[in-house]
Amino acid sequence: MSDTTAIPGNSMQMRWKGATEVIAPLALALAVAAVLLLLAGHNPVEVYRLLAIESLGSVKRVAATLAAATPLILTGLATAIAFRAGAFNVGVEGCVFVGGLAAAYVGFTYIGLPSVFLISLAVLASVIAGALWMLVPGVLKARLNVDEVVTTLMLNFVAISLTAYLVNGPLLAPGSANSATPMVAETARLPRLLPPSTLNLGFIIAVLLLVLYWLWDKRTALGFETRIAGLNSRFATSSGIDVPMLIIKMMLLSGAIGGLAGGIHALGTVGRFVSGFSPGYGFTGIAVALLGRGSAVGIFLAAILFGALATSGATIQLFSDVPIEIVSILQGMVMIFAVARFGWIFTKRRGAR
Amino acid sequence: MSAEHTISDPSIRLGAHGVTRRFGSLVANDSINFRARRGTVHAIVGGNGAGKSTLMRILQGMDRPDEGVVLVDGSPTVFLGTADAFARGIGMVHQEFMLVPGLTLLENLVLAHEPTDRLGRIDREKALEEAHKLETLTGVKLDWDCPEEDAPVHVRQIVEILRLIYRGADVLILDEPTAVLAPAQISELMALLRKLRDEGRTILFISHKLDEVLAIADDITVIRNGRVIGSMPAAEASKAKLAEMMIGEILARPEARKGTVGEPILTIANLTARDRRGNVGLTDFSLTVAAGEIVGIAGVAGNGQDELASALTAVGRVDGGTIRIAGTDVTHMTLRQRRAIGLSYLSPDRAAEGLCLAAPIEENAIAGHHRRADLCSRGVLKQAAIREHVDALLDRYSVKRSSNSLPASSLSGGNQQRVAVARELDGNPSILLACQPTRGVDIRGIAFIHQCILDFRDRGGAVLLISEELEELIALSDRIAVLYGGRQSGEVDRGSAEIEKIGRMMLGGADA
Repeated sequence: MSDTTAIPGNSMQMRWKGATEVIAPLALALAVAAVLLLLAGHNPVEVYRLLAIESLGSVKRVAATLAAATPLILTGLATAIAFRAGAFNVGVEGCVFVGGLAAAYVGFTYIGLPSVFLISLAVLASVIAGALWMLVPGVLKARLNVDEVVTTLMLNFVAISLTAYLVNGPLLAPGSANSATPMVAETARLPRLLPPSTLNLGFIIAVLLLVLYWLWDKRTALGFETRIAGLNSRFATSSGIDVPMLIIKMMLLSGAIGGLAGGIHALGTVGRFVSGFSPGYGFTGIAVALLGRGSAVGIFLAAILFGALATSGATIQLFSDVPIEIVSILQGMVMIFAVARFGWIFTKRRGAR
Repeated sequence: MSAEHTISDPSIRLGAHGVTRRFGSLVANDSINFRARRGTVHAIVGGNGAGKSTLMRILQGMDRPDEGVVLVDGSPTVFLGTADAFARGIGMVHQEFMLVPGLTLLENLVLAHEPTDRLGRIDREKALEEAHKLETLTGVKLDWDCPEEDAPVHVRQIVEILRLIYRGADVLILDEPTAVLAPAQISELMALLRKLRDEGRTILFISHKLDEVLAIADDITVIRNGRVIGSMPAAEASKAKLAEMMIGEILARPEARKGTVGEPILTIANLTARDRRGNVGLTDFSLTVAAGEIVGIAGVAGNGQDELASALTAVGRVDGGTIRIAGTDVTHMTLRQRRAIGLSYLSPDRAAEGLCLAAPIEENAIAGHHRRADLCSRGVLKQAAIREHVDALLDRYSVKRSSNSLPASSLSGGNQQRVAVARELDGNPSILLACQPTRGVDIRGIAFIHQCILDFRDRGGAVLLISEELEELIALSDRIAVLYGGRQSGEVDRGSAEIEKIGRMMLGGADA
């Protein structure tokens, strides 16, 4: 048997391969959208320049992009943590809803508390609500091998409907006709970093969590166990790692961060909980996690990308005759090409059983 | 034989000529030759890993040989796929049946080739007619309206065979067809196969059960390590001769060692365990392994070894009995707890369980030890210490690698196994459960791993060695326990370990 030991330079090649896998979806999406723009009679270079300016052209625009990226960093992180353990959690969207409502409830109820306590309590409530939301799917997967894709996806609809019911009934703001809770107390609002931009403390929290995630993944025994369990659960089990317990823990953690995303969105941006609270942050988070390949830096960059598309899309219409739909197409294209990896992850997931 | 077959070309219906198939550095089939004559039962006999499955995949068009050709009706043929092979009349009954639960036996019989009426609806009457024709042809009687999942296993197998005939196959490849059958059902199957043969069909019968092979086959080909050891008419074969060909000669008989055997480390008492499907796979099994002793478990695959290993690693169901490690009852402990007491486990399935091929070599080398105080404090991994430890460890086990941060899949099979062995012997375990420790490893790697196991024994470690390689068992073990049908069929000391004797016990013969 000849020893097929790796040739030196292999790790360079792998790094290069990793970079292409991140950049390729974006490049492909831009190319396809360029064709569409040409067909519609627009100059793609001009449109892309406009998009870049509208998302990153000034401090104000950068702040708007970072503000839009904040919930995506958190939902991307929440999704990535579950993926790490081998659980395909698509229920972060639901966690955003329950977490947002929990934080808003605390924010407009315990208005007498000092700001620091009130914010802490509201954030804590969102974290707990999100974690509890993932308890049942986590336990079902770990103990009874119930497919988490099904349970978490279904729970999204439950979360959206349940919160919609609450803000239309028991928690509806007095005298309000639209389905929303009362505004939270001013003391419950997260401090803004660059007023009048909505960029707030939540962004700092999100970035801090990304750093912690990076350290956790690289440096801790639990992060190591989680990665191994996600890559090969039989190997992890035979190494003495309690894989079912690990899956439950990571599902709870994923839910907690998803809930936090909702809490920060409620306290930092919206100021209350309204029906239709999240425009699919949880689902975009899946694309962020996949495009970012589960790494802290990747998640950050992917979230910025989707945040930039969202902010520039909102204003590009004002300055050109480019339809806003082109931004949706771009977003969709990036997602499709990013999620092309989904197939690979999915087969691996099935194969591991 | 009917006149038709004596008139038609009496030559080879299916065969192989110089078929070679390599997977990386592993040669699964090494210029295999055999000829199955039309209208005969040709048995292919060999132990596990002999290359039978690879050959079967090639013969039914699922895989192509790197060199050599498949012979159909005496002429070289390249199959485009399984459908192409089937079009030439070659069909296979797999070990795992391919029937659809929820459909009746009749529906399963005609599935994908249903007789239809003018409107394209399935014509049940016509299907039943076909089924009755097959019944007359083969002399079996079935309840065709029985749902597949309610049919006994041998009936399902018969339906599998009839399905191939219904669809026009006249060469039937049967992979270990008796593995799931009770003795009475086996004789029923044999009768059916004889009938089919007398009708002029050709049957390729793959098995390692020599009694059955001798009872049914006209010709027998024995393969071992991917090579044909010999082909002969069944009339010239005997069980002893076949066993010798299957198992091979022992190159060098190691001398009996007088090791100092210490306290019992692993004590298994009256263990009864179930397999994954819930059937009892191991019955009333007792064994003790002492410090400084290697105890081997011999047996043809599927005779309880898997159940024993999964009971010891806390993944299988234990119905009765106890397992003790160094005096502690671990029967209801998790593998993590057992490992903490001193159990170490070398998996037989390197790619799926023994290693995490996608993870770096370094992580593979510390998994399970990663929370040890010298590598980790308060949940934080000590990166420098780990790097140093892994480098020293893998150097000691001569793992050829360019960087510890590359994935384990970048290593050759032999080096991968060295990483697994290094990890499992790291940290002074008291008992090593070694399952197929040298499977898929080259000769130099085998010698190295054997030496590691012997050194561990000499340091006072206890070893339970489960292997399908008799040579390996005899070379390493101080005692060998033989499993047959989920029970211990005998035990021999290394002094009296003779291959014939063990072979007899492996095949269910009386303890001689």
